[in-house]
Amino acid sequence: MIRRVSNVVLLVVAVALCYGMQTSTPHYARLTGLIPVRGGIGETIEARSFSLKVAKIGFAHTLKLNAFGKEKVLTTGGLWAIVTAELAARDASTSVWGGIWQGPAGLRYRTSERLGVAPGAPPFSLEPGLPRKVRFVFEIPADQAANATLLVASARFSALDSEAQIKLGTVETGADGLPAGVIETFDLDQPI
Amino acid sequence: MQAVDTMSRSRMAEGRSGTERKWRRRALWALVVLLPAVIVETSYGSVRTFLGNNDLIARDVAWGSAAHFGGSDWQLTDLRTALGMEGLPANAVPVLADFTVTVGDPDMRNLWVGCKVFLTDASGRQWTPTATVSLRAPADVMICASAAFSGAKKGDRLKIRETFMVPKDAIATIRVAVGVGSERPYYLRFQRPES
Amino acid sequence: MFGTLRGKLKAWITAGAGTIAAILVAGLLGAFGALPKPEIQHFAPDATIETGQWLIKPLRLHVGEERVYGLPVKPDEKAVILEVELTNRTAESTKDYFTAIQLAAPFADTTESPLIVLTRDQTMSPELQPGLPERMAYIWTLPKDRSLPASLSFTVNTQIYKARDNLYGTPGWYNQHPAGTVSLPLQAKGGGA
Repeated sequence: MIRRVSNVVLLVVAVALCYGMQTSTPHYARLTGLIPVRGGIGETIEARSFSLKVAKIGFAHTLKLNAFGKEKVLTTGGLWAIVTAELAARDASTSVWGGIWQGPAGLRYRTSERLGVAPGAPPFSLEPGLPRKVRFVFEIPADQAANATLLVASARFSALDSEAQIKLGTVETGADGLPAGVIETFDLDQPI
Repeated sequence: MQAVDTMSRSRMAEGRSGTERKWRRRALWALVVLLPAVIVETSYGSVRTFLGNNDLIARDVAWGSAAHFGGSDWQLTDLRTALGMEGLPANAVPVLADFTVTVGDPDMRNLWVGCKVFLTDASGRQWTPTATVSLRAPADVMICASAAFSGAKKGDRLKIRETFMVPKDAIATIRVAVGVGSERPYYLRFQRPES
Repeated sequence: MFGTLRGKLKAWITAGAGTIAAILVAGLLGAFGALPKPEIQHFAPDATIETGQWLIKPLRLHVGEERVYGLPVKPDEKAVILEVELTNRTAESTKDYFTAIQLAAPFADTTESPLIVLTRDQTMSPELQPGLPERMAYIWTLPKDRSLPASLSFTVNTQIYKARDNLYGTPGWYNQHPAGTVSLPLQAKGGGA
């Protein structure tokens, strides 16, 4: 009798363990994905092949840039978010493809392709010993500005490399729901 | 039923000594040989690929001498900095490395696969050629990748130049290194001139 | 005698349970497959069409020649331009809109995929950001002498989201299939930016 009960108990425990392990296994994409290295604004984050320090974030309604001799003004239906940062390669020449602005709810915005091949647009090539100031430019809806995270990795698709995750923190909003410091035009040609 | 049980049980007791024990021990010793053999056999391909893709073991070459590498003879003819360029970060110095390569085996498109010329300094940092700085070169001077497909014949002398951007503090200890697919994991490392 | 019959029957059922199940399933699938397919949905020309990844609102259909949104058109061809407002419904920036709208019969034989331009600044096929509606122009080129009817029909395609793909185990949008068709009147010339 004892034997039977203990068998059943063991069976139930085994089922519970297996089910628990199955439901708590992270998704395959996360198991083989990028390994995060976390930090905040102003901290130097050391990823595997590069180091990153975010200096400041700014918001604007339009962007101004000079491409192939012509001046372009880029408008948007949302806001432009410009993250100024310093990137450096660690041991070998490398490049950073761009970055992702992850909003508070997890929506991911990649660096805008509308900048084209203007100087200062990603991908950023880095040499060891020569840190470089860069700008990550994103196009986001106004409600994604606060409590976002900047995700930067060396290659766009890679497994098990490291990814710098920087919490960009709260953003003061003005009366109209837009960030308090939003400017009308951001000139991308001014030196960083 | 009872008689069969006791018979088999006693037979088991006997078998524990004698040939069964001898072969059990031999099997355990065989594991000592088999396990490493399995590890070697299953990882052999990966190890070969790793060695074929990375520059790991340096072959040092004295300044001014030539070395036979990737089927041809490589000689580093010049390593100099280009000063006075505008538009570069404050700390950055462009460095030019010039080679004269006497072609031995003309099959360079296969021997020189993944040709990589790089600079390394005393602390092990590496710099690969940069596209940020473009200095005009004479028409017969090529980069390594173009030279591999230039169709040169045995005995031709090719001029190869690669341009790098290096911080000022590394200039004192940088050395030029070359790696090609057919020679990996070995790579050439040219010594600095004794000065 | 009945005792052994009962035993035999049990054995047959146990052995054949799998086969019986397989035959039943195959029969049911065949029966459902042979049902008449549901009608392809027709969308109204001014409605916002909801597909898996995009909210598509057709705006304007017109014809252009010579130069269209900064792109040259060959002298012996004309461009059919469909302007739509696309909103990215997914959680990531994406540019998977190339096959979202296709020309339906009788122009379905146009094998070239359309050029897609962001009308705001004539950028070619940029990634669109989640939640930001953008006006895009789909540009198909046809031979100049091909006559166009008063209204053109388009097939709108959609894909389904799989959190775990069968092959790679990664999330993505797969299995493109038509969501419906929409017909738009072709406006007179005077368009083309």
